[in-house]
Order: sequence, then structure tokens, then C-alpha cells
Amino acid sequence: MEKSESTKIDVVETNKERKGKAPLLGTAAPVVAAATTAEHAKGGAKRGIAIFDLILRIAAFASALGAAVAMGTTEETLPFFTQFFQFEASYDDLPTFTFFVVAMAIVVAYLVLSVPFSIVCIVRPYAVVSRLLLIIFDTVIIALATGAAGSAAAIVYLAHNGNQDANWLAICQQFGDFCQRASGAVVAAFITVVILIFMVVLSASALRRH
Amino acid sequence: MKAGALELGHASKVTSSVPKSGVNRGMSILDLFIRIIAIIATLGSAIAMGTTNETLPFFTQSIRFRAKYNDLPTFTFFVVANAIVSAYFILSLGLSIFHIMRSRAQASRIALIFFDAAMLALLTAGASAAAAIVYLAHKGNTKANWFPICQQFDSFCHRTSGSLVGSFAGVILIILLVLLSSIALSRR
Repeated sequence: MEKSESTKIDVVETNKERKGKAPLLGTAAPVVAAATTAEHAKGGAKRGIAIFDLILRIAAFASALGAAVAMGTTEETLPFFTQFFQFEASYDDLPTFTFFVVAMAIVVAYLVLSVPFSIVCIVRPYAVVSRLLLIIFDTVIIALATGAAGSAAAIVYLAHNGNQDANWLAICQQFGDFCQRASGAVVAAFITVVILIFMVVLSASALRRH
Repeated sequence: MKAGALELGHASKVTSSVPKSGVNRGMSILDLFIRIIAIIATLGSAIAMGTTNETLPFFTQSIRFRAKYNDLPTFTFFVVANAIVSAYFILSLGLSIFHIMRSRAQASRIALIFFDAAMLALLTAGASAAAAIVYLAHKGNTKANWFPICQQFDSFCHRTSGSLVGSFAGVILIILLVLLSSIALSRR
């Protein structure tokens, strides 16, 4: 008796489930289709951000290379000399400028080595690990580049203006070409820093999951 | 039996989602903690540099031998940069607490990363400029005929060198903050 009742109930349930399932299947298909197109759009946006990131990376590489080369090739010899020594100025006379050249060289090398990671982000828009790596190393490189640019800027400012309280003469009044080159290199380094900050923000906005 | 299977499935979904938001919340709390340490570091640096004032015990009739932080414009920039970064950290404490309560906020996290990166650049520029001047004050430069003033102003030099430590510690802490924010962003 009980068994027959349970089987009857089962049959009733299965009929209801079948009725319930058909409209569900009908509504499921367009929902799935809408989800895939939305995913394609989001993947396309991430891919666009990654392409823009690659372009910015190449621009930052050019700027950093210009800064390193401009500072590294400074050498000015004044046309007059005494019997004992010749008046010349080069980047390795000031240890801060040496640090600037070395640090910008490291920044250039990093930017070249990070291009493959950027291409991976373009090819696979949903890759999280490579974007995270790019953000972290970009932040460290921001710190390095700003350190080099800031310290060189302090020395260039001192060379332009001197300091009366410390009795430091303004050497730019004699070595004009050397000073111009060094100032240009510092400006290029700061441009690199601005581009790097923009790249970090781009990577962060591409990291978020929807 | 079917109901029992459904219940089990629902329960497993709940337990898998709790650890993720828990880790995010833990990272937000760590973010707040690091921010408080960074406030102390940068504020200490600004105060240590800003209160330098050394007067040498001898003087001539016309000039007095005195060293203050605003004798060198680079040190003035250092104090101002540290003060700005310290104020920014105090203001961003509110946003950090908001992230603890709502771990899923994304747009505000991106804004926080942008401001953290900008403050990183400002702080590092100030710290490295002051480091270059401190190095010059210690060693001098024979080619540019710049005399190392640390040989006379000993206490001034010690104070300025010490205040650099707090500033560079702040730089490392900001890098950690950007790392934490980006990891929390990628986990959601």
C-alpha cells in the first residue's frame, strides 16, 4: 500500500519536473549566449588595455634609454688649461651621476625583459599571474627610476645655483654644455617615471574581475 | 536522498566562498597596519629634518656659523615631500578602513593604487635628492671644488642622515601597500 502511494507520488513529481524543465531550457540558451558575448567584450577590453600597456612600455624604454645615453655621453673640456691640469667635466666626476647612469641602464634592461610578459597579457587577457608580476616589478622600477632622477636633479640644481651657506660654487657657469646635457637627461628620466605610473594604473584596472 | 544531496552541495558552496573573503579581509587589515607604520616613519623623518639647527661655538665679527634645514633648498623639498606623504597616509586611513568593511570594492582600490604610486614617486624623489646632498656633504667633490661641510657641522649631518632612514622605510612600505592592493584586487 505504501509502496504504491510512493510510486504514484513519484510519477506526479516527475511530470511536474518535466513541465518545469522545458521552459527553463528555453530560457537558459539565450542567457548563456548573452554571457559569452559579455565575456568576449570584457576580454576585448582587457586586450585593448594590454596593447596600450605594450605601447607605453616601448615609449618608456625609449625615454629611459635617451636619459641613460644623454648622461653617459657627457664630456666637456674647457678650451683653456693651466700647466698642471685640464678643466674637464664628465659624468663619472660626480658619483650621483654615475648612479643615475647605472640605475637608468637597469630600468632599460627591465623594460626590454618585460615585453614578453606584456605580450602574454595581450594573448591571454585573463592571465592574472603575469599582470600581477608586471604591477609589482613596475612599482619597484618606479622607485628605482625616481631615486635616480631625484638625486641627479638635486645635483643639477646645486650645479646651477650653488649654495652660499655651504660655500659651493655653481659650476654650470663654466661648464654650460655639460649642465644642459645633464638637465635634459633628468627631464627624460622624470618622463619615464610618469609613463611608468600610468602603466601601473592600467595594469591595476585590467586586473579586476567582473 | 535527493534533498540530502542538494543540502550537501549548498553547504560546500558556502564553505568555499568564506575563506576567500576572509583572506581579503586579512589583507585589508594588514594594509591598514602598514599604513599606520608608514605615517609614523614619514612624519618622524619630516620632524627630524625640520628641527635641525646647529650653531658652531665660534664666530667671526661678520658671519655666524649656523646650519639649518632651509639653508639647502633640497632639504626644504625633503621636509615638504615627507609632510605631504604623511598627510596623504592619514587621509587614506579612512579608505583603508572602508576596504576592510567592504572587501569587494574595486574602483576605490584602483584609485588607492593610483594615489599610492604617485606618492611613491614623490617620496622617493625627495628621499633620493636629500640622499645625494647628504652624500655630497659627507664626501665633498674635489673636481667641483665643493667642500664636505660635515667635517664642521657634525650633529647636523647625523640628524639629516638619520632622517633619511625613515623616508626610505616609507618607500618600501608603499611598495608593499601597492602589492597588497593589487593582490586583493585580483582575488576579489
